[in-house]
Amino acid sequence: MSVSFWAWLVLLFPLLGSIAIGLGFRVLPARAAGAIGTAAIALSFACGIAALVSLLGDEPEARHHASSLWNYASAAGLDIKLGIFVDPLSIFMVLVVTGVSTLIHLYSFGYMESDRGYRRFFSYLNFFVFSMLLLVLAGNFVLLTVGWAFVGFASYALISFWYRRATATRAGMKAFVINVVGDIGLVLAAFLIFRELGSFDYEAVFAKAPEVFAVNQWTIVAICLLLLLGAFAKSAQLPLHTWLPDAMEGPTPVSALIHAATMVTAGVYLIARTHVLFDLAPTAADIAAFTGLATLLVAGTIALVVTDLKRAIAYSTMSQIGYMVVGVSIGAFSAGMFHLMTHAFFKALLFMAAGSIIAAMANRQDIDAMSGFGKAMRFTSAMFLVGALALAAFPGTSGFFSKDEILAYAEARGGMYLIFTVLGYVGALLTAVYTFRLVFRILPGTPCNPAQELIETGQVVHAEPENPATGEAEDTEVGFPGPEHHIAERSWPMKVAMGVLGVLALVGGLVQVPGVDHVIASFLDPVFEDSPLLEVHPTVGAEWTGLGIGGAISILGIALAYFLYVAQPATPAILIQRLRPLHTLFARKWYFDELIDLLVVRPALAIGRFANRTFERVVVDGLVSGTAETVRGAGGIVRLVQSGFVRSYALLLIAGFAGLALYFLLASS
Amino acid sequence: MSFDAPHIDYAGLSPVIALTAAVCVVLMSAVFRPLRRTAPALTLLALASAAGLLIWQWNDPRDLVAGALRIDDLAIAISLVVLLMAAAAVSLSIREPAAEQVGSGEYHALLLGSVLGMVLLAQAQNLVSFFVAIETLSIPLYILCAGNRRREKSLEAGLKYLIVGSLGSATLLYGMAFIYGGSGSTDFAGIASGIGREGLLGDPLVLIGIALVAVGLAFKTSIAPFHQWTPDVYEGAPTPITAFMAVATKAAAFAVFARFFDLALLPQADEWQPALAVLAAASIVIGNIGALGQDSLKRLLGYSGVAQAGYILGGLVVASEAGVNALVFYLAGYAFMNLAAFAVVVARERETIFGDDIRAVRGLGQERPLLAWPLTISMLALAGLPATVGFIGKLYLIEALVAGEYTWLAVFIAVGTMISLAYYLRVVAAMWMRPGAEAAPSAPAIAGASPEADPVDPEAGRRLYLLAPALLATAATVFFGILPQPLVEFAERAGASLF
Amino acid sequence: MTNSLLWTPLVFGLIGLALPKRLTGWWATLGTAVTLGIAIALLAGFDSGAAGLQDTVEAEWIPGLGVEYSLGVDGLNVFLLVLTALLWLGGTAFAAFREQERPHLFFLMMLLAETATLGAFLAQDLLLFVLFFDLMLVPFYFLFGAWGSDRPDGVTASAATLKMIVYTLVGSLLMLVAAIATAIVAADGGQITFSIADLAQNPLGEGSQRWIFWFFAAAFLVKMPAFLLHGWMPDAYRAAPLPVLAVFSGVLAKVGAYGFLRVVLPLFPDATVEFQEVVLVIALASILYGSVMAFTQTNVRLVAGYSSVAQLGFMTAGIFALRADGADGAVLQMVNHGLVVAPLFIIVAVLAERSGSEDLREMGGMAMRAPVLAALFLIVALATLAMPGSANFIGEFYILNGLFQAKIAFAFVAIAGVAMSAYYALRLYQRTMHNRVPAGVGSRELGWRDGVVLVPLVACIVGLALYPQLVLKRTDASVQQSVAAATGKPAPEAELAEEAPAMSGWTGYGPLADRQVDELAAGESGKSP
Repeated sequence: MSVSFWAWLVLLFPLLGSIAIGLGFRVLPARAAGAIGTAAIALSFACGIAALVSLLGDEPEARHHASSLWNYASAAGLDIKLGIFVDPLSIFMVLVVTGVSTLIHLYSFGYMESDRGYRRFFSYLNFFVFSMLLLVLAGNFVLLTVGWAFVGFASYALISFWYRRATATRAGMKAFVINVVGDIGLVLAAFLIFRELGSFDYEAVFAKAPEVFAVNQWTIVAICLLLLLGAFAKSAQLPLHTWLPDAMEGPTPVSALIHAATMVTAGVYLIARTHVLFDLAPTAADIAAFTGLATLLVAGTIALVVTDLKRAIAYSTMSQIGYMVVGVSIGAFSAGMFHLMTHAFFKALLFMAAGSIIAAMANRQDIDAMSGFGKAMRFTSAMFLVGALALAAFPGTSGFFSKDEILAYAEARGGMYLIFTVLGYVGALLTAVYTFRLVFRILPGTPCNPAQELIETGQVVHAEPENPATGEAEDTEVGFPGPEHHIAERSWPMKVAMGVLGVLALVGGLVQVPGVDHVIASFLDPVFEDSPLLEVHPTVGAEWTGLGIGGAISILGIALAYFLYVAQPATPAILIQRLRPLHTLFARKWYFDELIDLLVVRPALAIGRFANRTFERVVVDGLVSGTAETVRGAGGIVRLVQSGFVRSYALLLIAGFAGLALYFLLASS
Repeated sequence: MSFDAPHIDYAGLSPVIALTAAVCVVLMSAVFRPLRRTAPALTLLALASAAGLLIWQWNDPRDLVAGALRIDDLAIAISLVVLLMAAAAVSLSIREPAAEQVGSGEYHALLLGSVLGMVLLAQAQNLVSFFVAIETLSIPLYILCAGNRRREKSLEAGLKYLIVGSLGSATLLYGMAFIYGGSGSTDFAGIASGIGREGLLGDPLVLIGIALVAVGLAFKTSIAPFHQWTPDVYEGAPTPITAFMAVATKAAAFAVFARFFDLALLPQADEWQPALAVLAAASIVIGNIGALGQDSLKRLLGYSGVAQAGYILGGLVVASEAGVNALVFYLAGYAFMNLAAFAVVVARERETIFGDDIRAVRGLGQERPLLAWPLTISMLALAGLPATVGFIGKLYLIEALVAGEYTWLAVFIAVGTMISLAYYLRVVAAMWMRPGAEAAPSAPAIAGASPEADPVDPEAGRRLYLLAPALLATAATVFFGILPQPLVEFAERAGASLF
Repeated sequence: MTNSLLWTPLVFGLIGLALPKRLTGWWATLGTAVTLGIAIALLAGFDSGAAGLQDTVEAEWIPGLGVEYSLGVDGLNVFLLVLTALLWLGGTAFAAFREQERPHLFFLMMLLAETATLGAFLAQDLLLFVLFFDLMLVPFYFLFGAWGSDRPDGVTASAATLKMIVYTLVGSLLMLVAAIATAIVAADGGQITFSIADLAQNPLGEGSQRWIFWFFAAAFLVKMPAFLLHGWMPDAYRAAPLPVLAVFSGVLAKVGAYGFLRVVLPLFPDATVEFQEVVLVIALASILYGSVMAFTQTNVRLVAGYSSVAQLGFMTAGIFALRADGADGAVLQMVNHGLVVAPLFIIVAVLAERSGSEDLREMGGMAMRAPVLAALFLIVALATLAMPGSANFIGEFYILNGLFQAKIAFAFVAIAGVAMSAYYALRLYQRTMHNRVPAGVGSRELGWRDGVVLVPLVACIVGLALYPQLVLKRTDASVQQSVAAATGKPAPEAELAEEAPAMSGWTGYGPLADRQVDELAAGESGKSP
């Protein structure tokens, strides 16, 4: 069995699962739907492993396979096939995606149990995984765009999953439209590539690009910037990030799957995938890197002040993706992908734990209302803590190794790139602080009512269902999380999923310890072998110093958070008083929403209103009615002349003759 | 002693002779009480025989009466159209109040007289016969228009037609005089050669003559701006007569129009072509605009007639064989379309209290499909929509115009057609669609017939003598719209006889 | 074959007059079904390689005027024929399931309309084309006017329809003059012929091409309708009965775009090149204006209506990119848009039945009890916004690629329409199916009657999404020919367009643009078993 065969199977199972559940929504019992969904992804993961094995069978430099099913759309010189491209990079993504997705499906199996849309949910979820796999396996830019848009749609469908919530549908729309903007970037890039290289296929393009383009030639820069447009829209980088926090309207497993572990990392994958082009356009690469840097800092600052648990984690996701973007843009490809993997582990875990807590809170997400869950939910709290430690890059955890590898690489590349190291550490400090802000606000302290009730009765409260965002009562017919809430302590699937991820989040970093082993690097490097940046290598010593600094910063940050939120709980308020303008800036999310609203939404609507009220009426209808009026007016004249008096008729007759005779005389002479 | 009588071609004259005889016979039938009712039958018989005799002469062109007349395919074709309309008129006139009042015999005799005039006019190729023929056709019509003596609208129409008509004839006569003076010949061929002679080209006298003749003929064919009598007379006259003159007069007049201009005045073509083109354009515009918002169907058809005359004149303007073909073809088609429309109008006039008001046909689609379809199709055909003879006719005309480098006039036809849709489709809408904005039928109409004058016959819509013409004409309209070739060949023969 | 395809509907319609009222609808449906069968048979027997006409019918018609009765099928129209037959089956069936007043006339007109439309697509004689082009209006005049709905604000169906007819005839009558002029100028005193193929052989002088081009363009742009010429659309769309509107908007609009490919490019090449930018500007204006209007409308019909304005703008742009790929995309998009917009209007009808209104503000939340309806609607909506993965995306992709390679600036403007389409299409879906249920809206599942109509159409959308090559492969040759006629040279990368054996085992891309890449692929396929 060839690699591409397994790869096709990887694609097949989720699709089948989605279709099966979708068509059988009437006949299938709920749990069966969940089981099918989970099994489909698990199978797909297994095939991924198989593909990996058979890929490792090849020579390292021969580890790329293209394969196509049929001519998708080939005419007039465009040659577009339904083709996939398998190499270590795509397999790596496949494994991360399917692996984490399997666990999240398992989690949802329990978490969504009482939701009326249970089957719909799993159908969507499977479809999302299929799209994501299509995205990473696509063999040409057209199919990439297809996968790209599919994940966009799947995320729309899942964000507005509870479609009776106005907030949810609005958030879905926002996500979709912004993602379409990204798609357009990809499409335009594809056009430009086709114009220069005459093909859409990865192999052809990457083989030809170096011959055709000179370094930093404007076309290649343009291509890369257009690709970045797509990447930023998906990966919620500035300024196209505003959809991500709103996307938290979706069910928590969705946030874990799409908005932490998989989809949002597509941009990172794209940059790594097209690194050949970016190598030719260093300017574009630097722009990408600096955007990533800006994002990671801005997001970090916002995460410091947000009080909505899920949104806080969402902003931290943004900032972590910032790290990855920096990594793959400056050339630390394998490091970036490594961080992508570890982040998938611990961020998914964090969301799951958060979900469990939110469930216990009967869907309230406001951290101000939470406290004392440490006693109430020991397992969940433990997992939350693990995730937090990994996110804060506590020494030894997975995040610790992956993040620092990026910064070390930047340091090794030196020159301007030191900025990334320095500010990267600043970001790390922020990360540690805001992460443990959450931890210290939620876990310790006197239990809040739900927690208290949990401790005393061991029952989860089921308050009147209401929309956490607006507080309006839910439409309980359908489209709300369901009357029951499920927490990890009471649901084994959730427990298993979180447990596995917890372990991975702790030890996942050990696959790539400086000087000890470099599994991922050695696996991925064949993909990037042609990149000049691969030569850059931080020395083991440098890496360890980096790790030291990183660890110190992380601990410092945690200590700081402890001081602010446990030792001196009053200080944050004082700080807010002191730094009022700064705080409002962060709290208002740097006014990005307002900006976009001002620059895009309002003008568009204004134009629409003008076109509707004024232009259509005045010009378009005017064109018609004006002509009609003139004709009718002329008709009036004719009827006026038609007086009915013979004398006037005779007069006109004479006049007509006179005119005619006059003409003849003039014409003749 | 010997005396050689001039050779008389009785065969050639036979149609005219037959018609003349018929006039007398029908008139007599009025005198003898027992024969009273036979007038229509006799008339039809006469028309049929005349038609037969004409067809007998088909494709055998020659001069008659020392060149005063010429019987060729153009003349025959036009005469056939005239006879067809006359026959239809007879059938529509059954139970027509006007016919009763004038007296069936007189009524039909007059009709035949006018037909005789038209047949002569179609053959005339000499100023004298030309004028005689035109008077022969006009005078009976003046009387017929005033036929319905109980309605002063009818009387008014007759009077108007008489006065304005004589003015038209006068101008015509003047023009002839001028042209005779200029060319020194009354014979068309002679005129042609006379004008052709050096020095006379662009001679003011002749030109004024041409202008006068043009006005006279434009008047008869109701070309704007000499059309004004048309709506009034059409509206006032008894509807069968309107139906008859709407087509027949035009046909005969256009025949001589073509003969005179494309034969006698051909040398002067460069002068008169643009002038006539302008007249055509003018009547296309004025006719179509005037028809907008007309509630009286007969007035509407009158104005539409003005516009159609404009289209037809286009065929004459280009002074080419193709042009005359198109002209004849369009006239033939026009006969069918108009006939269908008028037959329905007659039926509704007698059925409803609304006379010829558009309200008379409202909801016809459900009520009387057999009446609705003819009117619908004739309206679509007049509007020149495909699968009707109207479309082919326009196509023919436009082709001739473009070939004759009068494309701008072709565009005028297109534009005119656009405007015309507004009123033609209004009639269709009234028949098939919900009343909507237009007020629902209420008070009896003042326009058209007035109830106290004409008794209402609720069954008129089912009478065969009304349905048959309507349906046959409709069938022809559609048939020649889909398979026009026979009619095209018919027209081509006619056109060939001039060039 | 061609003949039977053309006349079957009319024959059925006429026979239907003789049948009892309740049967006419089914009889008509049967007629359209038979027509579809013939159309599919035609497609099956279609030789995708050939650029020229196939299944031609030549017969004398009016030799006196040089008009011939000549029909033919090629890559440009073969799928439009199938589309026409398919949509008419859907629309007729949908109408047959419901009570129609005066069914005899209704279905007669319906079938007459189909014959006329098929005729417009089949005609290979310029004048025959014009004739059918005008004839199409007649039945729709009756259908819209007599079965349409009057608006509360006083605009009656008949008024709206009259507006449409006059408006569209403005163009087509000028086109009649233009067509005749073309033939006569080309004949230059010789034997007049209207055969498009012959006329294409000896193009006119530049001078006459100029004005003739615009006369034709006027006809086609009004029909689409294009920006500024769409004045008739809002009223007519609001008046029209929905099943009729489905076929009208699904097919008739395309005749305009088709006309450009069939007539204008081959016959008036110089003018086409000369006015390329002008038409492109009109097209872009249509795209932007249509999209903007579409997302500000609250009447469901108008959202669809203006979205088609935008879509037709895309097609025009694709054609006037004057590149094979753009035109290929345009043809594909004609089919796609027809397949999308017809179900859309049928869904609108279904929704209106549930909410008793066609106003977005009075709809909502209907997905709950109608998952199937919701799913179908979702697919249609996504196809409307040319979601990548739908055939519409491939269509737009080809169009925009053509535009991009030909006139890059225009492409950047046009693509803004893509983003807007995402918004209005999704808005349409959300406002009707999601959010809270307003009072008076009953959320009912799709009845089997509507399902029978809707599901197959949606199935076609999905099928085409999986294999757009089905269309591209068959149209490409003819399109290249038509475009080459205008540009005078074969499409630049025509030689690249090779058919690689699809599904060649599990291995590789077939021949690629570049030799070196070829070797690369070959080396790869060598390795994997």
